[in-house]
Amino acid sequence: MATSDETNDRVEQTYRRRARARIQSVGRRLRRAARPGWDRVRFARQDLTAAMPALPRVAYLFIAPFFVLFGLFLAFPVFYTLYLSFFEYQGVGEGSLFWIDLGPLYVEIPQIAQLNFVGLGNYARLLGNDLFWQSMFNTSYILAVQVPLMIGLALALALALNASFMRLKGVFRTAIALPVSANLVAYSTVFLLLFNEQLGFLNYVLSGVGLGPIPWLTSEFWARNTIIAAVTWRWTGYNMIILLAGLQTIPQQLYEAAEIDGANRWEKFRYVTLPQLKPVLLFVVVLSTIGTFKLFAEPYVITGGGPTNATITIVQYIYRQAFVNFNLGYASALTVVFVVVVSIFSIIQIKLGGED
Amino acid sequence: MSGINITELDKVYDSGTENVVAVESLSVDIDHGEFLVLVGPSGCGKSTTLRCLAGLEDATAGTIRFDGEDVTEYRASERDVAMVFQNYALYPHMTVRGNIGFGLKLSTKLTGDEIEAKVEDVAEMLGIRELLDEKPKALSGGQQQRVALGRAIVREPSVFLMDEPLSNLDAKLRSEMRTELQELQADLDVTTVYVTHDQTEAMAMGDRIAVMDGGVLQQVGSPEEVYRSPVNRFVADFIGSPSINLLTADVEDGTLAGPGGFAYELDGSEPVDGHERVSVGVRPEDIEVVESGRNAADVTVVEPMGNENFLYMEIGGHELTARVSPTVRPAEGSQVAFDFDEAALYLFDVETGDALKTKTDSVDSAVVGTTQN
Repeated sequence: MATSDETNDRVEQTYRRRARARIQSVGRRLRRAARPGWDRVRFARQDLTAAMPALPRVAYLFIAPFFVLFGLFLAFPVFYTLYLSFFEYQGVGEGSLFWIDLGPLYVEIPQIAQLNFVGLGNYARLLGNDLFWQSMFNTSYILAVQVPLMIGLALALALALNASFMRLKGVFRTAIALPVSANLVAYSTVFLLLFNEQLGFLNYVLSGVGLGPIPWLTSEFWARNTIIAAVTWRWTGYNMIILLAGLQTIPQQLYEAAEIDGANRWEKFRYVTLPQLKPVLLFVVVLSTIGTFKLFAEPYVITGGGPTNATITIVQYIYRQAFVNFNLGYASALTVVFVVVVSIFSIIQIKLGGED
Repeated sequence: MSGINITELDKVYDSGTENVVAVESLSVDIDHGEFLVLVGPSGCGKSTTLRCLAGLEDATAGTIRFDGEDVTEYRASERDVAMVFQNYALYPHMTVRGNIGFGLKLSTKLTGDEIEAKVEDVAEMLGIRELLDEKPKALSGGQQQRVALGRAIVREPSVFLMDEPLSNLDAKLRSEMRTELQELQADLDVTTVYVTHDQTEAMAMGDRIAVMDGGVLQQVGSPEEVYRSPVNRFVADFIGSPSINLLTADVEDGTLAGPGGFAYELDGSEPVDGHERVSVGVRPEDIEVVESGRNAADVTVVEPMGNENFLYMEIGGHELTARVSPTVRPAEGSQVAFDFDEAALYLFDVETGDALKTKTDSVDSAVVGTTQN
């Protein structure tokens, strides 16, 4: 049969050759009919390109803006924070750090701050500080409840929206993802009003069905849950969209193969969906963990960190130290510790979740 | 092992605004251990039919019986079928071992060791034993194909369903796997339904071929039968490579008059009685280049294949293909006379395409013997 196969292939090649010739002749005819105006623009552009001198290494000039901005606003602050964490901040700098006299051009870099070297003093101080540990505990608590809750919810919603029987998918998708566009302070304020203990809508509804008012903002336990509810409301849709996109990349044939292999609904989820979704799930988990660890605006607006510091988060604590108390050195040390903790979390998750 | 009876199968897709009929009242009976090939151009409903058999699609109407048992309403997992997909559909996160054993793990009460033993046996049979701990990603197309086969074989199903399993392989590997698949199927003696768009594959592999077009089953028969006695013009055109030459000709007193001065006098005019125009079909291998004859055509391309030559000719703007001996090699652009036996002639109704006459020439018995086995 091999020879007949080869024959077939050759016949096919002939057909293809002829088809190509036909396509080319059609192409020629189309090109002749092209609009002359656009051609003139194209010719002018080509001539201009040819007339331009070829500057060596001009590409570096084109990519320079990024590196300048990155260096000024990201790299420098990052290293300066690390530097600052070994000092005590005493005030705005006076005098100049250094200057360059280039005749007509005189460049002076002023000293940024007056600093007093304290070595690891800031780090020793934070380890012994109760409020630091309290904020770490609060953040971890919110993280441990909020991230699994939100991702579970997002996955369930994504699965529902991905189901073939679902109608009005676009409407639901948009509606569920909408909260992510809400302004942080605005939505926090709305939650503050909803969860208000005397006048809030939630307690009004609860008392309507005979349940006593819940101290949403004044009980330590409920205040944390209020924060969790707010964050979950805002970010579930966002994660759902990512998970939904992940679900849609899973080849339908894998489900069909599993169906024929005798898998039921749960087994298909367990043996096809979950392993196929793992990279996306990992991405969502790492991103959510970092996001929740950085929690600031919601507790700042809704609870102000209270009651009795039960909802103060690590970033809120850093904010207080840096911009209320102006302990910039100490706040920098806190920031360094915060970054290290977040990195450790992420590394553990990636190690556990992504062997591929 | 089981025979399959499909009765009046309909499959209609309801897209909300319009109904698309994918398969229309298809009936076919497949014997125990038979290798049936469903063949047709894309969109002809062959894959849909297979998916209905698998239980991946619900039949809109009609019944499907496996060994007399009505399975129309059964889920795929309840039908005891195994399927090989075109793109293999291997589970990317499982090893070859996991992939092959997965069905057994889910649908049988075999112990882990028993599954392991079966997987090893099948892997041995397919020559992929050393690949058992690899992930599909690390395998070549041919190896993945074997794993997909292994996954089907290990379950010892009553029916094999194959959806273009060889079309992702290169030409050489395809013809190798074709032979291997046939041997395997003969050894296992499992009823097999095989879908392909490649008529060569269908001819080579099928015990019988079912040709489909536009959701309608056109003809079921042995490769020999559909080639020699197609029921209509579509089947004649689809089966055979290069394709049959088709011309439209006027019937004038038992003579066929076609484009470019084509004329052919029929000895027996019964098939064309009552027809003013007919479709004339001649297989490329039945066209003979002769010293002189009534019909002549301009040679446009000559393709030497070594064992034979293909002549592409033109007659009155129609392309004619002839498959001739390698010694016949007219110059491109020259005019040659050609002829063919009346026994080799196909005639079809111009309107309906129904066959009026098909090949009646005698067949070398040795050839018949090999195709029927």
